[in-house]
Amino acid sequence: MTSNRTLSDTLFMGFVYIGLGALSITTLLPLLQAITISLSPPDVVNSYGFHLLPTKLDFSGYERVFQYDIIWTAYGNTIMRTLLGTAITLVLTFLGAYPLSKRTLPNRKLWTGVVVLTMFFSGGMIPSYLLIRNIGIMNSIWALVLPGAVSAFMLLIVRNFIAALPESLEESAKIDGANDIVVLFRIVLPLSLPIIATVGLYSGVSHWNAWFDSMIYIQDEHKQVLQMILRRILLEGQDVSAESGSGVHAQAVNTETVKMAALVVSVLPILCVYPFLQKYFVKGTLMGSIKG
Amino acid sequence: MTKAGKLTGVSLAVALSMGLVAGCGGNGGNNEAGGQQTPTSSGTASQQAQQTEQAKPISLEWLGYDSYGQPNPNSSVIKMVEEKFNAKFDFWYVDSQKWEDNLNVRLASGEMPDVLKITNRQNIPKYISQGIISPIPMETLEKFAPTYVKFLNENYPELWDGVMYEGQIYAIPMTNLNGTYPTVVIWRKDWLDNVGISKIPETIAEYEEAFTKFRNEDPDKDGKKDTYGLSDFALPNILGAYGYPGISDFKGASKGDASKSVQFTMKDGNVVLTSIQPEMKEALTLLQKWYKAGLIDPEFLTSENTTGYWADSQAFYNSKIGITGMSMFYHWRNELNPDIPDDAGGGQYKAFKESVPDGEAVFGVPAVGPNGASGTPMWDTASHPIAITSKAMENPEKLELLLKMIEAACTDYEYYLTLTNGEKGVDWTLDGDKFVNLTATDTLAEANVKGKNVLNAKVSYDPFIKQRDKFDYEFADKYGKISGYSAVFVPTLEEFSKYSNTLNKLTVDAYFKIITSDVDPSAYFDEYVANFRANGGDELEKAADKAYKEMVGQ
Repeated sequence: MTSNRTLSDTLFMGFVYIGLGALSITTLLPLLQAITISLSPPDVVNSYGFHLLPTKLDFSGYERVFQYDIIWTAYGNTIMRTLLGTAITLVLTFLGAYPLSKRTLPNRKLWTGVVVLTMFFSGGMIPSYLLIRNIGIMNSIWALVLPGAVSAFMLLIVRNFIAALPESLEESAKIDGANDIVVLFRIVLPLSLPIIATVGLYSGVSHWNAWFDSMIYIQDEHKQVLQMILRRILLEGQDVSAESGSGVHAQAVNTETVKMAALVVSVLPILCVYPFLQKYFVKGTLMGSIKG
Repeated sequence: MTKAGKLTGVSLAVALSMGLVAGCGGNGGNNEAGGQQTPTSSGTASQQAQQTEQAKPISLEWLGYDSYGQPNPNSSVIKMVEEKFNAKFDFWYVDSQKWEDNLNVRLASGEMPDVLKITNRQNIPKYISQGIISPIPMETLEKFAPTYVKFLNENYPELWDGVMYEGQIYAIPMTNLNGTYPTVVIWRKDWLDNVGISKIPETIAEYEEAFTKFRNEDPDKDGKKDTYGLSDFALPNILGAYGYPGISDFKGASKGDASKSVQFTMKDGNVVLTSIQPEMKEALTLLQKWYKAGLIDPEFLTSENTTGYWADSQAFYNSKIGITGMSMFYHWRNELNPDIPDDAGGGQYKAFKESVPDGEAVFGVPAVGPNGASGTPMWDTASHPIAITSKAMENPEKLELLLKMIEAACTDYEYYLTLTNGEKGVDWTLDGDKFVNLTATDTLAEANVKGKNVLNAKVSYDPFIKQRDKFDYEFADKYGKISGYSAVFVPTLEEFSKYSNTLNKLTVDAYFKIITSDVDPSAYFDEYVANFRANGGDELEKAADKAYKEMVGQ
């Protein structure tokens, strides 16, 4: 069929390519602009027009960012948080979803209902704050990884995925003498890898990007996550009212070059990992949706 | 599933959750102890202090600073103050950009520091009703901080109004010396020369002539008609030629900051809202004419500051417009300080020179209108006041300590320099009586970490500042003493929080519409005023007038 494509097919594909091309350009241009600004001296930054390719190179932004201790501390915190948070999420979500997928679970409807309920109601900010404080995980990494450890939505997706695995596989394993634990880890887990990758990826990315919880629960600057520090650097100096203090040297804020350098440094790792994980993302999303 | 299997499953789940609980329990235990240590230790400290007379340091939970960064408790500045006053500071760190959100959660959950900076004076009644801040008797202020109280009474008596509520003082006013200098007017001198104008324009007619020539006579000599007269930073200056500028910051107001357009001024002894005064009708009529003639850069809608620090004007740096403003004298200082080796002038002047090396930027004066009015908006002379919380008032020594610290900051010059600029010999030195800043490039956050600008409790004592930054303030007195408009401070009003956002939106829409479209300015302005009054403007104006007159005792 490929040999005799009709004109309308060609046209259609043409539009698809143009559309997708335009879409990718709209996402790539801002990135390119950020990278270029991070490498440019102030007079270039202040000039009009696009800054897609550096005209004058200036590494002072990066020099400054590399001296910025707090960025690296925050980097460590974010990596720690992402790893720990994702691990906890995976274990809990998987262990929660497996029983819910079994028809033999007593009161299965009730338990599912309890999980679904949390999708509609939340405690609100101040009660959550009080809870976190009273259980004593304030100002620690646990305040960042535990409150959102299990997302009801993700749990349901995993549940549906496991429920769709053929029952007969487990039966045959049982016949071969496997107990429930063996079934879980030797049969169900390997078959669920795609959905685990998806959940892990979602959770990892959201942990990497989260800042609001860190702002509320973390009161020590050295325990703040990267996005929080980055946000602070990026927003610096945009507000007149911040300049309420006296003195004539109050305007020593980071330049756009430094800001963009900090931005590039913080997105680079996730940018490098993404292409390799993306296929799981696509696969997993489809699985969740079709069979869900 | 078999029964046995179920059992294993259950036990697995239990074991797991136990492990988890144990894990965070262990960690949490430590934390809880850490978190609760402070109140108990300060409680015992106060009791013991009464018994053993100052043997134990007074502990203060400190939020009396702009927390751009978290102060290092072991920095030499902090250590020095702790020793001097036999105190122990526990710093609260609240993200400075999300100050209100962050602080409100903590206050709502019952936590409070001892010393609290009040970022928004409108919050004072709220804090009082929540029992967070306590009144400070005038006698105590005068007893422990006489110099500071005298300084306020002599130079900034109006600031007391901002911290009073129902006759009592709830916070210590802080001052902003820069608020006494109006925002600047900056001209492209080389452009004026190129179009044959030798005198810096002073009246509206002279302004108009200059702008017209900027537009039509190619002031940048590049052969293209790509220049304009002005953009948004100079608009308040033009409005000011007719009366109090209805919008003092077009970018801020259009981003939703109601305080930039809902302002009060005095007229015939009454408090009135500035944006609906008939003078603005005249001003807007003129601006519409200018816009049609192409004198106003059409991109003023999205502001001449397109990126970076708020005072940067990319339109001015890129030789698109010939006048700018909005910022302070120190942003545009165009005389170099001979005492600083590689001084390049104010930050914005430096950026301008980097973009246009042979451009010339000079200070001008606000346009004088047909009725003789003129001026640019001025900043508030009040900075964020410092309050003492009701928790701290349980131990009277804490207020005493705070006031003694404030008093010391305005009686001892070198102590003040240490508080604001860091360790002597490391961050600054005195060369004779000249102040030399060795770490001028520290950002606000870095300064806080070193303990700079943390324990001065926001005190900015004018004589010391003028002594420290002598060159800059001499420069300011030479060029920055132009005419300006400063808003009347009206006590906190419920009506303000209720209506200000709607009113701001109405004002911004109407002003932009009149300037950029063909509507009849007069009719449209009247329509806007009626609309404005009907949507809470009237109510707000009356409430403000009443509150103001009560405050000044009429």
